[in-house]
Amino acid sequence: MILARGRSLKTEARVFTGSMADIIFLLIIFFVITYKVEVDKTHMDLPKTTVRVTIPESEKPAWISIAPRREAYLIRVSTGEEMSLPIGTDEELVTFASTEVARNPEKDFIIKADREVPYERFDAVLDALKQSKVKNIYLLSEQKTVEQ
Amino acid sequence: MKFTKKPLDSEIFTGSMADITFLLIIFFMVTMAFSSNRGIDFALPEDTTTAAEISQEESVDVLVLPGPVDGPPVIQVDGRQMPINELLPYVAEKLKQNPSKPVILRTDPGAVYGNMLAVFDELRQAPDRIGMKIDNISIPTQREIENIWTMLGIGQ
Repeated sequence: MILARGRSLKTEARVFTGSMADIIFLLIIFFVITYKVEVDKTHMDLPKTTVRVTIPESEKPAWISIAPRREAYLIRVSTGEEMSLPIGTDEELVTFASTEVARNPEKDFIIKADREVPYERFDAVLDALKQSKVKNIYLLSEQKTVEQ
Repeated sequence: MKFTKKPLDSEIFTGSMADITFLLIIFFMVTMAFSSNRGIDFALPEDTTTAAEISQEESVDVLVLPGPVDGPPVIQVDGRQMPINELLPYVAEKLKQNPSKPVILRTDPGAVYGNMLAVFDELRQAPDRIGMKIDNISIPTQREIENIWTMLGIGQ
């Protein structure tokens, strides 16, 4: 083959996208397997603790969240299957917890509260749960590091 | 006349598959929960009247006082103010005398939840720190405390 003088060979610059579909499918499979809907999306600064146990997810626990000051310490509740809804009074909280315990006496409850919430608010929630004969509660926290 | 049969192209159009999969990935990424699913477990007494029978004299009384949110919690143990790091050695001494001694964790309504949880966390670390497990940590509510005081005929 004779190359013409002064003419260079054309090189094609191309990004190989053949494996993109495989990567995307792998990502989708990962998300489908690990997908979990967050029933309460209230952003808050959780207290940090050293002792932390994994909350069992087999029987969907009920959620009670106490929002931080910017949301006027609003209490939201969820059965663990639906998105959380705000409640107005402590009596409503007792009714909610009693209903859940009547459905499943072993139902676990998760309390998600901002660390700056006045204890008074938490006390009202705890009292409502005790009145409703709840057996197990989990106080949601973040990992405390050595520096903290 | 001779008819020639044109071969039919049987093809599934996959051009929009990439868009659909991208949309799915974006949906999963946005709605995915990376929230904390760990915390401190706390078993409530099945019969609330049992808790009311515990008298203050035969238990370790820990009171969380209002204090700084970010700093160490301010506590009073059996009526005496002490730093949080002295709590477990004090409880250990009491448990040596009576291993089933309950610890009552009370919190001033003016304190913050984070401070109460810090003290509760400290008490739960007893097996690692002092080599003993505190079998009975009770967190009475304000209503229960008032009931006890009413039973004892003491006004707050």
